[in-house]
Amino acid sequence: MNNSETKKTPLYGEHAKMGAKIVEFAGFYMPLYYKSIIEEHLNVRKNSGIFDISHMGEITIKGKDASSFVDYVFTADVSKIGRGEIVYALILNEKGGIIDDVTVFKFSDDEYMAVVNASNTQKDFAWVRHVQNDFQKKGKDVTVQNISDDIGLLSVQGPKSRDLIYPLISDVVKIGKCGLFDFKFQPKNIKDLKHFEFGCAIFKDVNVEAMISRSGYTGEFGFEIFVPAEKTVILWNYLLQNSNLSNLLPIGLGARDTLRFEAALPLYGHELDETINPYDAGLEKYLSDTKDFIGKEALKNIKNKEKRLIFFKLSGKQIPRHSQRILDENLKPIGCIASGTYSPSNKFPIGSAYISDAGVNVSYLKDFFIDIRGNFEKAEVVSPPFHKNFKTGK
Amino acid sequence: MIKSGSFYFSKSHEWVSKGSNDKYRIGISDFAQSELGDVVYVSLPEVGKNYKKDAKIGEIESVKSVSEIYAPVDLKIISVNSKLNDTPELINQDPTGNGFIAEVEISNDSDIEGLMDEVKYKTFAESSHHE
Repeated sequence: MNNSETKKTPLYGEHAKMGAKIVEFAGFYMPLYYKSIIEEHLNVRKNSGIFDISHMGEITIKGKDASSFVDYVFTADVSKIGRGEIVYALILNEKGGIIDDVTVFKFSDDEYMAVVNASNTQKDFAWVRHVQNDFQKKGKDVTVQNISDDIGLLSVQGPKSRDLIYPLISDVVKIGKCGLFDFKFQPKNIKDLKHFEFGCAIFKDVNVEAMISRSGYTGEFGFEIFVPAEKTVILWNYLLQNSNLSNLLPIGLGARDTLRFEAALPLYGHELDETINPYDAGLEKYLSDTKDFIGKEALKNIKNKEKRLIFFKLSGKQIPRHSQRILDENLKPIGCIASGTYSPSNKFPIGSAYISDAGVNVSYLKDFFIDIRGNFEKAEVVSPPFHKNFKTGK
Repeated sequence: MIKSGSFYFSKSHEWVSKGSNDKYRIGISDFAQSELGDVVYVSLPEVGKNYKKDAKIGEIESVKSVSEIYAPVDLKIISVNSKLNDTPELINQDPTGNGFIAEVEISNDSDIEGLMDEVKYKTFAESSHHE
């Protein structure tokens, strides 16, 4: 971690007070669980949960040429989305390897914000600053800024999360400031937001103004709430004081991982890294074919898939773990596990893996095995996601 | 002198206890289960097998991690707690009771005297918590 000290989010003291099991993750002391990963997971699927995700990074991109900048740095058609909308995209290196996966928020044609993985904030910021410098040398007007330390980020997820949020807010639908942000468009009411849209609201009793997006990383209906860092504790405690509205529980990173994995959402460092290209990861739909972006040229030369991401479940009870080997029916190694965990919703072990031989036909992979510390556990390919609650999720 | 009903702990967080019927049981400590989190699978030791102190006798998997179970003293496995096959969460709920790992034979009571009693173990666990 760049020989720097482990950081704490504004909520570290609250997590410790609640007796959370604290672990180091992406350079931060974060709660792994408060009581039980399984209980927390199931509560998000059934009711609602609140996550401290203030460790995630936020990078703003501003200037007259911000639109051409975001279109060049990110793989998706970012500038084409509307103001108040969000798009999922990748950042690729020149070879087409994945530097990070991000969401990009559009405030206007000359102002965007990327929300990036905590583990990649430094790397991403160095990368976009490098591109910014190239742009500026060509006389373009664009400035990137890492505002991660200024922002507290809470995520409220689950089918009942609206029962918590709606009664506690009043909408701010005017053009102008919204907490740390400047809306140059008139935002929608929070209730009217569709998936991947954002607006502005005030939490009435505590007078905290926040940017609220309809987004998340659980496969459930939910919100992400951006507040000034110094307001994070107030808002966290206020939402938990109102937990009876939605049977809200605080949720740690353990359940964040099992929830995202059941929804088959990729995690950087597991399904994604710089040795993996978007085709390997099955993310080609996030590549624009109408504009140029960094890495696009290299991707043209990737004709054959070198590896392929598959999802599987186990009939046994042992849990597959990252980097364990995948063996075919003749016990020949054919790949490595990306993610492996226990599925609390299904009550069996699940995983994802990169199968290294492009010639392996996945439908032929009827019988294959995971080498779990010398035990060859039988696995079966399944088509993701492992859990579907998308009626409410989108 | 080993007291029936008392628990004796190893540095790797297993316990041994002598029942009123002169049988011994082993398991993992409450501290160990709370560090592991939700237990979802237990690989139990082999019945009838002799294990030396500190030998690996099994594995416990939680959602997040896997950890090994070691023999707290030289012992022979008489029977295992097969309830753990279907309800591994017993280890979280009742680690020193219904969540025991196995019933064992121990030839030397004096081996147990080398372990920590409950008071000493409490201090030991608290210090490992803050490592």
